[in-house]
Amino acid sequence: MKPSFHPADLRKTVVEMAFAGNAVHLGCAFSIIELLSRLYGRHLRYDETNPDDPMRDYLVLSKGHGVMAQYACLYELGWLDRKDIDNYFHDGSRLKGLSDAHVPGCEVTSGTLGHGLSVGVGLAMAAARKKTGQKCYAIIGDGEINEGPIWEAMLFAAHAKLDNLMIIVDANGFQAMGTTDEVMQLGDLCAKFSAFDFDVLPVDGHHLDAISAAIEALEAKKNGRPKALVAKTVKGKGVSYMENVNAWHYSRLTPDLYVQALREIEGAMA
Amino acid sequence: MRTAFSNALVEAATQDERVVLLTGDHGYALFDEFRKRCPGQYINAGIAEQNMVGVAAGLAKAGLRPIVYGLSAFIPVRVLEQIKIDVCYEKLPVVFTGDGAGLVYSTLGTSHQSFEDIACLRSVPHIEIMSPCDAHELTACMRMALRAEGPVYLRMGKADVGQVHASLPDLRRGQLVRVREGHHPVALIATGSMVKAACALGDELAASVWSAPWIKPLDTRQVAELAAGASAFVTFEEHSAAGGLGGAVLEALSETRPLPMLRVGIGERFSQTCGSYAHAMREHGLDLASVRERVLPFAARWKAS
Repeated sequence: MKPSFHPADLRKTVVEMAFAGNAVHLGCAFSIIELLSRLYGRHLRYDETNPDDPMRDYLVLSKGHGVMAQYACLYELGWLDRKDIDNYFHDGSRLKGLSDAHVPGCEVTSGTLGHGLSVGVGLAMAAARKKTGQKCYAIIGDGEINEGPIWEAMLFAAHAKLDNLMIIVDANGFQAMGTTDEVMQLGDLCAKFSAFDFDVLPVDGHHLDAISAAIEALEAKKNGRPKALVAKTVKGKGVSYMENVNAWHYSRLTPDLYVQALREIEGAMA
Repeated sequence: MRTAFSNALVEAATQDERVVLLTGDHGYALFDEFRKRCPGQYINAGIAEQNMVGVAAGLAKAGLRPIVYGLSAFIPVRVLEQIKIDVCYEKLPVVFTGDGAGLVYSTLGTSHQSFEDIACLRSVPHIEIMSPCDAHELTACMRMALRAEGPVYLRMGKADVGQVHASLPDLRRGQLVRVREGHHPVALIATGSMVKAACALGDELAASVWSAPWIKPLDTRQVAELAAGASAFVTFEEHSAAGGLGGAVLEALSETRPLPMLRVGIGERFSQTCGSYAHAMREHGLDLASVRERVLPFAARWKAS
């Protein structure tokens, strides 16, 4: 049976592995928890027993910094095991701090930003050419949109009429050194996607049913236009002292903060 | 050479429906035949090379066999990171073809001249580097490239310097091909467009001449055996003398049979003036007269006794 991918469970795993590995990028992982919960729980088609099933839908995590959220999902699927979580960043372990295509369930090697979306476009294009019905969901960060290849990929996807591609923007409003407005203003993202011939919807990226409704509404239109979901999210969502505090792009958990984070997350489970 | 390339593309695509050709809006007349014969396998990805390589990686991951065409100034140099991360890390079977390598675009200047491509790729794991010297070698290389399990970079330089081989050579992965017999103690090893010049000097010196269709891998045992029977090597390439064929041969021998080597290639300079291809080759000391001036005194030091 499919796991539940309950957001609080996923956040708990992220906190546990971040503490085990003294790892950073918690804020980046927490903003995409609900998105991944719904993608893995409802929208992606895959074989639970085989991450490499050639007929799988593709989930491309182009914003590789959020990879702990994906690891948490892969752990629920049993594609990663408890040892991977408890030994995160330990010498000789297999999970890295950014998305890595050698990990079962990870499609791309990213974190060097602006790479994954193009690979996702290629995957969507191959599926369209072979008429397999496979879809590709590519999660990009709003900060990542600074990268030139993102715009190249958008132009190309629209030109190639890839309506089996959905770009999901994790619009948490922050990037490494500040807010997206401070660093490189993005303006109206929905308008930009529209101008690039995408079907686009904004959504509250932490509202599970709203996410599903938006994905379904976009996918209902088989019109040759690629899809974009602009998910308004909160960086660090789910732990009070991390929410919208950009230091949690880089900060590490102390034992006290770890206990507090677990307490808050477990409170959300109750 | 361009006709051979076009023919090889058509042959590949008609024999294997998984083959798709991606171009970054380059190769106008070059792909006329391909577009006519295999329109469904032709993708103009626009002037957006970074995305093109990522897309090729995705296509290859899903089971297709992409051939990415560009000028060697862009493919691989501009997209080195995409080649490294998106393609080589996963050992995806993508064939990159870098056209106009070296000084071919003599009149367009530094942006289009390309003599660092081999050096850039040599340090990236899992990618093979091929550098055919004429149409026959190109055809043979293309066939090998399309059968490769992993990524390949195929470097194409000046197309019309003439034939080296009389027929399709029998290539072995990583091996040099002898194109002239000789008994001079100095052996000449050249790649791409410079094999013709090496042949001319080989004739003058009665030296053996070897073409290097592969820069990577390079059969180090073969190179060491060749070194065992020689007093010195001269390498020739229309590429930086640092990090190219000469560097690869030098490194191959460094632990087993270090040998004096003259590396003929492009030095620490960009082109300063505009002009014909012949002019650019002269400016960089790669025309036959300039090369002869360097090679003959070097070879004379090991004159057969």
